[in-house]
This record gives sequence, C-alpha cells and structure tokens, in this order.
Amino acid sequence: MRNFDLLEPKTVTEACRMLDDGEDVRPVSGGTALLILVKQGLLRPRTLVNLKKLEGANAITRDEAGAVRIEAMATIHQVETSPVVREHLPVLAAACHQVANIRIRHLATIGGNLAHGDHQSDPPGVLVALDAEVELSGTRGTRAMKLADFLLGTYETALEPGEMVTAVTVPPVRGRLVSDYLKFTTGSSEERPCAGITALVRLEGDRPVEARLAVGAVAARPLLLCETDPTEGALPRMAERASEEIDPIPDLRGSAEYKRHLVRVLGRRALAAAWKEACP
Amino acid sequence: MRHLITATVNGRERELSVKSSQTLLDVLRDDLRLKGTHEGCSVGVCGSCTVLVDGKPVSSCLMLASNAEGRDVLTIESLARDGNLDPVQQAFLDRQAFQCGFCTPGMIMAVKGLLNENPKPDEAEVRDYLSGNICRCGTYVEVMAAIEDLTAKPQ
Repeated sequence: MRNFDLLEPKTVTEACRMLDDGEDVRPVSGGTALLILVKQGLLRPRTLVNLKKLEGANAITRDEAGAVRIEAMATIHQVETSPVVREHLPVLAAACHQVANIRIRHLATIGGNLAHGDHQSDPPGVLVALDAEVELSGTRGTRAMKLADFLLGTYETALEPGEMVTAVTVPPVRGRLVSDYLKFTTGSSEERPCAGITALVRLEGDRPVEARLAVGAVAARPLLLCETDPTEGALPRMAERASEEIDPIPDLRGSAEYKRHLVRVLGRRALAAAWKEACP
Repeated sequence: MRHLITATVNGRERELSVKSSQTLLDVLRDDLRLKGTHEGCSVGVCGSCTVLVDGKPVSSCLMLASNAEGRDVLTIESLARDGNLDPVQQAFLDRQAFQCGFCTPGMIMAVKGLLNENPKPDEAEVRDYLSGNICRCGTYVEVMAAIEDLTAKPQ
C-alpha cells in the first residue's frame, strides 16, 4: 500500500488537533472503506489519524428517557449484537447484520460508516428513519445535528476540518415502533445494497399514529417520507411517492428506472410487513 | 513512520516494529513469514486473508498492523499441534472440502470464528456466517458437509 504516516491520538481533543492540518490528513477507524481507496490510489493521504485507539469510544448505552447512544468507534458487529440495540432498535440490529460480511463488521465502525458518507450502505438509511442525530467534536467544540442534515451526498458530509463523529444517538421513541428493513442486492448476498428500505410504524396504544419509509443506497442521500395517522390503504401510495421523489444514481447495480421500480415494490412490501406486525 | 507494538501471534508474544501503512496481512506474510494467510482480492471481499483477532474473524488485508497492538492474533499455522490436525482441518480433509486450496486457510479460520461464537450453528447460520468466504472452485457443498460433521458430533 502507498505510504502514509499514522498518528495515534489517545483522546478526542488530541485527535481533532491532528485532523485540523489540511486536506491530506484523514481520519481512519476500521479502515475497511478508507484503506480500499488508498490501495486503489483514489485517495493519497500524507497522514492518517488512527481513531481506533481512542479510549472508551465504543460504548452503547440507553438513558432513562430512552435515548440510545452509540459511541462512534463501536463496530458494526457490536451494534448488531448489542442487547440494548436488539431490544430497543431491532431494525438497526437487523440492518447492521446485513452489512458486508462478518470480517468487515468486526473491523468497520458505525462512526466511520457515517463519516465516510458512502450512500451505498445499510446503516445510514435506517438511522435516518429512526431520526438519529450525530455528535460532532472538533477543535471549536462539540455540536449535534440530525443525521439527515449531516449526510450531504456521496462521500460528502457536514464535517468541518478538524472535526470527527464521536457518537450517534437515537432519540426516545414515543409509544412503540414496529419496523422492517429490506435489503436488495443485485450481486451476491454480502454485496453493497442496490436498495435498502426501512419501514416503520409507530403505535400509541394500539393506534398507528405514524408511518415512515426511508430509502437508503439508491440516491446520494437517504430519502425519508413520513405520514401521520396512516391507514393501510395509504401505504402503497407512500411507496409510489418515494419512487417518484427519489433521484436514483444509475450504476452497475441497476439503471435509474430499475431502481425506481425497486423502491416502489420494496417500499410497498416493507410497509406491508411492518403494518401486518403492528396491526395484526 | 514506524510503530513499536506488542501482539500475541499464534500464542507467542511478539514485539514488532511495523510501518504506518502496513496491514496485519503484510506483517504476517512479509515480516513473520507466515505464508498460510493468503491475499486474494485485497479489499475485504474474498475471505482468503481471514485470521482471528481476539477470537473473531477479520480481513487482515484491511486491518492496520498497528491496531494489532495488545491483541491475540491466530493464523492457520496455529491450528495443528505436534503433527495433529485441528478438528476443523481434519473435517475439511475428510470431506475433501477444497480443490485448489487457495481459500482454505481463510475458510478454516472463518469456521473457527463461527464455532467460537456459536458452537452449534444451524445450516442457515453457517451459510450466513460464511457467505463472505469465496471459493472459486465451488467447494461449498463439501465445506458445508465438513461443518455438519463438526457440529453433529457430541461435544
């Protein structure tokens, strides 16, 4: 692999200072995305800042109000197997389980996944559906923003120089969430998603009060549609709307037209599955 | 830039001086001359470079060597003891679960990882876990048979 220097901070403050040093300094955590770009010569960093050795940066916790906080260096495998995530955000566990393969999930981190800004991935769409926020730490302090606002496009995020993702949080859910994640690949099962569809139905008591449909991996950013007081009859129309509003990126996984079709069909299926479980 | 790290490799504690840009795979093959771990695709897809780090399978081609600091690394060379094959190796041999053999070390280490995590996996769990280990000769049926032999045996 092309040479670079690896700096190894122990604290976030130290890491941010190291990162605030120009264009050819990049953070690296699991390395499963970034090192491929370096190997292929698409990225030629002079210096990488290794975030993997930051202390205590991979905890997954739930506070009294019910917000789930995942520290950025938690691996995808830690997210998928976390008892907190499995109990309270099963759709996130299910989507993380479908990322790449077991070896990558043991290396790749959730913070790295989001900061990388690759649209062809499972977690971003699901987390947008769950209304997640990212916590960003930098040389000028810490701020939080909606993940939906953080993801600007393919390999583009709201990160400023000298800033890193330190956590992702999912706010408390009012009532109960029933959810379904459908991943569709056009290659082998562990391929990147051609489409990743999240459907959520939120119940208060037995009454469905909100339906959400998030489309990941199809366009440069996840698309989120919400409907309050949904009825079963309105769900196909929601999938239809998603397929009209999405701006698919055509690639070797399918043409724009094909992906639009997928969004309509899979959106309908995912919503129907969530609805069936929510209102049996 | 170089980094001095201490890691346990195949049960032996090693002090290693690794380059910033070296992967764990580079160190295993080029510095420690452990040639059983193979480089296939080099991008984490094929599974030929699978090793266990703290008992869990990783793609050594995408893990920076420096991150092996303080970790327990096991490669295919750790399995046979005093001329006796590991049960997973023996099962692969009994079932002829390979043809050219290039993917086999990675495949076997992935099976070790699977059985560490789940000693009694069902067929669906095995398929799911091993879906990222590619065999271009297509010996999957024999690999599944070898694993079935292993998991069917009373523990």
